[in-house]
Amino acid sequence: MRRFLTLVSGVAVLGTAGLGAVIAWPVGSAVTPIATEGNVDRGAYLARASGCIACHTNFEAGGAPLAGGAPLETPFGTFYPPNLTTDPEHGMGEWTAEQFAKAVRQGIGPDGTPYYPSFPYTFYADFSDQDIADLWAAFQTVPPVDEPAPVNDVEFPFDQRWGLKLWRAAFFYDPDTEPVEGRSGPWNRGRELVRGAAHCGACHTPRNLAGGRDIGASFAGNAQLPGGSKAPAIRPKDLAKNDWTVSNLAYALQTGITPSGDAFGGSMAEVVREGTQFLTPADREAMALFLLNKDTVEAENSASN
Amino acid sequence: MKKTTIAAAVLIAGTAVAAFAHSGATGIVKERMDAMAAMGKAVKTVAPMMRGETAYDAETVGDAARLFQQHAGESMTKLFPEGTGGMPSEAKDEVWTDWDRFAALASQLEEYSEGLERAADNGLGGMGGNTSTDGASMMGGGSMMGSDTTMMGGSAMMGRGGMMDAAAISEMPADAAFAMTTQVCSACHERFRAEED
Repeated sequence: MRRFLTLVSGVAVLGTAGLGAVIAWPVGSAVTPIATEGNVDRGAYLARASGCIACHTNFEAGGAPLAGGAPLETPFGTFYPPNLTTDPEHGMGEWTAEQFAKAVRQGIGPDGTPYYPSFPYTFYADFSDQDIADLWAAFQTVPPVDEPAPVNDVEFPFDQRWGLKLWRAAFFYDPDTEPVEGRSGPWNRGRELVRGAAHCGACHTPRNLAGGRDIGASFAGNAQLPGGSKAPAIRPKDLAKNDWTVSNLAYALQTGITPSGDAFGGSMAEVVREGTQFLTPADREAMALFLLNKDTVEAENSASN
Repeated sequence: MKKTTIAAAVLIAGTAVAAFAHSGATGIVKERMDAMAAMGKAVKTVAPMMRGETAYDAETVGDAARLFQQHAGESMTKLFPEGTGGMPSEAKDEVWTDWDRFAALASQLEEYSEGLERAADNGLGGMGGNTSTDGASMMGGGSMMGSDTTMMGGSAMMGRGGMMDAAAISEMPADAAFAMTTQVCSACHERFRAEED
């Protein structure tokens, strides 16, 4: 019994020390100055592709663009996507480009607070300085909205933000969007979009109890999305089995129409309506090529013959 | 042992319920499922034409548009009387708690498919049905973020006051008109249909 007590108190001491260390643990890395000039058009395009507008605008409630999104109900609590307008108090009006870069690529706010992974920053980690400058330029054109988004409704223990440092250490995977040698340009472009900006894996890859993605099961689907939506498996074999082709998948990203003649509902309807329908046909086809793992449309045709 | 029996009973009951969900619809629920399926079948026939995979046939597109009209508007809403939600229906409660919006989408489908019927003879636009805005207004101009119909500023389509009339749809290339019409399907499914397994 005494031994047991010693053990317990030992663990408690270690635990307290460990907790202190975690709380004091600085996360993220310094951002080099974003010196490049941003391009508003490119930035707006990237913002569409990345889902900024979809998530940070409450369309249901008729909210102003980027003034804060519809609540996201998760097992960890209810998250309210914040106001990203140029409002100095409730938006990003007072931010610097470097703070913006750190928020987007590293998931850390200007005051050093780590964000909840309901903001899919892990997918944006490979954005270049030029991407960031473009996005930043585009966000400067958003009219200010003088209203704060509601505060996240998260209960203990998930309201302890230091816990997010552990989460980051465990689940902040590199998005792996760099080009792969030997694959076609469009396939690589699709890879960049699918694994990066478009963050398909945020919904289509299952998550563990801690909300981390099960990377070994990438794109294997997730039946427990916030709000009761379900994301099907989208690995090449799953897509092929359900009659998806490069052509009809690219078309679905534009129109929401599936090979069976159905029309997307759930969160995927929003993804198309507020995101992928604004992409160029070439980018939608690139995403389809990567998802079906084909280098070219011709390669698909010859494979099926 | 007892636990196993209970588990088995639950499993069997669960399977029965699941089977019922997919095949057990009767009466008005079956009627509306059949209507949806008929429209889906028409979409399945027409979509490959819009993608240029099968030969474009204006008559087939017109038939599809007439079929949508037949199942849209009040023809659709009358199949959703109160109290007909729940298993095996896929209709969410929001159909009845937000009836006005549901009815508005049903009537929008009617309006758009009238436009599509008239657009059938326009043929394909060669854009693969780029529906939302033209490239210039989507990608151009520094004022694009924040206004109602642009890139950063909400959807050009289904947003506030974004509804078009049949005459406007009828002037679009058929593929664009078709995509406009089927986006109404998606908008309605997004809000009012439960996700299937």
